[in-house]
Amino acid sequence: MRPALEATGLGVRYRRSWALRDCSLAVPAGRVAALVGPNGAGKTTLMHAAVGLLRPARGSVRVAGEAAFVAQDKPLYDGFTVAETLAFGRRMNTRWDGDAAADRLARLGIPLDRKAGGLSGGQRAQVAITLALARRPDLLVLDEPLANLDPLARHDVMRAIMAEVAERELTVLLSSHVVSDLEETCDWLVVLNDGRLQVSGDIEDLLAGHLVLTGPADTPSPAGVSVVGESRTGRQAGLLVRGGPVPDPRWRARRASLEELVMGYLRSPASAALPGLAGVGA
Amino acid sequence: MIWVTWRQHRAQILLTAGFLAVLGVLLLGSAVEARLYVAGHAPPGCPGPAVACAELEVALGRRYDAVYSVFGWMPLVLPALIGAFWGAPLLGREYERGTHRLAWTQSVPVWRWLAVKLSVLAGAVVAGGLLLSLMVSLWRPVFRAGIDSSFGNIGVFNMVGVAPAAWWLYAFALGTLAGAVFRRTLPAMALVVAGVAATMAALFGLSDHYAEPARAELTGTVVLDDVDARLVRAAWVEPSGREVADPAGSGCPLRADAGRSSRNAEAWQECLFAKGYRYAMYYHPPSRFWRFQWTEAGILLLASAAFGGLAVHRTLRRPG
Repeated sequence: MRPALEATGLGVRYRRSWALRDCSLAVPAGRVAALVGPNGAGKTTLMHAAVGLLRPARGSVRVAGEAAFVAQDKPLYDGFTVAETLAFGRRMNTRWDGDAAADRLARLGIPLDRKAGGLSGGQRAQVAITLALARRPDLLVLDEPLANLDPLARHDVMRAIMAEVAERELTVLLSSHVVSDLEETCDWLVVLNDGRLQVSGDIEDLLAGHLVLTGPADTPSPAGVSVVGESRTGRQAGLLVRGGPVPDPRWRARRASLEELVMGYLRSPASAALPGLAGVGA
Repeated sequence: MIWVTWRQHRAQILLTAGFLAVLGVLLLGSAVEARLYVAGHAPPGCPGPAVACAELEVALGRRYDAVYSVFGWMPLVLPALIGAFWGAPLLGREYERGTHRLAWTQSVPVWRWLAVKLSVLAGAVVAGGLLLSLMVSLWRPVFRAGIDSSFGNIGVFNMVGVAPAAWWLYAFALGTLAGAVFRRTLPAMALVVAGVAATMAALFGLSDHYAEPARAELTGTVVLDDVDARLVRAAWVEPSGREVADPAGSGCPLRADAGRSSRNAEAWQECLFAKGYRYAMYYHPPSRFWRFQWTEAGILLLASAAFGGLAVHRTLRRPG
């Protein structure tokens, strides 16, 4: 099956510095992919390249079908009413489900005659996402959809996206620098660090394939696994390893949490886990 | 896309249309009033060259000047306003508000968004400029039968013919490019105002070279009988036929005039003419009106196309 989003050797340059280097990844259709990494890692750059706002300097990025994008600051025309914003979407797109959009906004209690500039942060995000969903996209790209939202609005936005995913074949790529936002909703993980791709793969597989080891500081590194990162504090050593099991009884092993996995890779920029590439049809 | 263009730019479109409507009413009212005045006060045979018509001419001139003082600033200010409020925000405001990431990620491709917006708005701007020109051209003859100044007066020249449309389009294209470069509205507006003023000064200086000036040799007077001509330069011609800037070797004494009197200068000129000197004037006759109109419009049109092309190129190269 064709991946919903595929990047091959993607490189994007701003003036002299590379925002994204040699990035190859594929997100299978129907997945909710989390794009994580520290600020300035290249998350926004990757998304902009995917939706055509940037021309890559190297390589290519391909979307199967239509992509809809919601930028980080949820841009809307402040002078337009919500109804006019929907009219804008209808006239700017070939596919358009106006009834679904109107239903959604009615359920959310967002009045159609309100100016977009007068909406609250949560309402603004909902209108922006409604506009994107009404296009019936194959890929929905959301740049920090939860930033600047209160906990209740965060929950509502996530629920709205999940409901749409459950209803039809839709692939979602959403970025965040808060991993805990993504734990319950995403099933694919992409980690970017300093413009390089570190991790891309199924979250279940990644969690099953990694172990957190703890033991005395002088324990030699275990054989048969590859160490992603390690931290030694005083007499204690903690390792994130790929592979296993570890026969050495001095190491106590347990499954890594998503947060530990992401942090382990981000702390060791030289490590990479890109199992997803072999698995999905290139 | 047309609806989107209208919805986003209707304020400018309506304001410009409203301004043109108000101006039209003003010009129409002024013309009707002048016609009624002529019908009621003109001696038989006026307006015309007869001496009896002088009084009527003065009265009409007063009316003309009253309205002209209202729109004498228009040749410079209107293009600047068009550039600042039609051109500069077109891309500058989208970038400034981040809405370019909304507009340019819909199914309509960026090049089509640009093509529709640029062509619709440029068309409206050109139509507005032509309408202004038409109104001014219909209004002026009511006052100025027989005494035309649409060629010699650069201000009037830029408000008739195709000049307003060309200037408006030029300012619009310059504003659009400035918005694409600065990605902000205010600096783009400032650049448009400065750019239009600089271009107007530059083209004013250049316009002498639109054609080879005509030459006339005058004796007995230093004033061309065609008041609407554009004077390029003048020189004295010695009896031998040599042109000199300063006829110092003529033996005619030139004494400085006191105050506003020009008696001494006139005496000097008479002396020169008596000794066989002639006065050569290089000028553009008003018959070159359309040639100059189209030359200026051509320059502005080429520049507009270049600016528009650059703005499109810049936008498409990096839309985000």
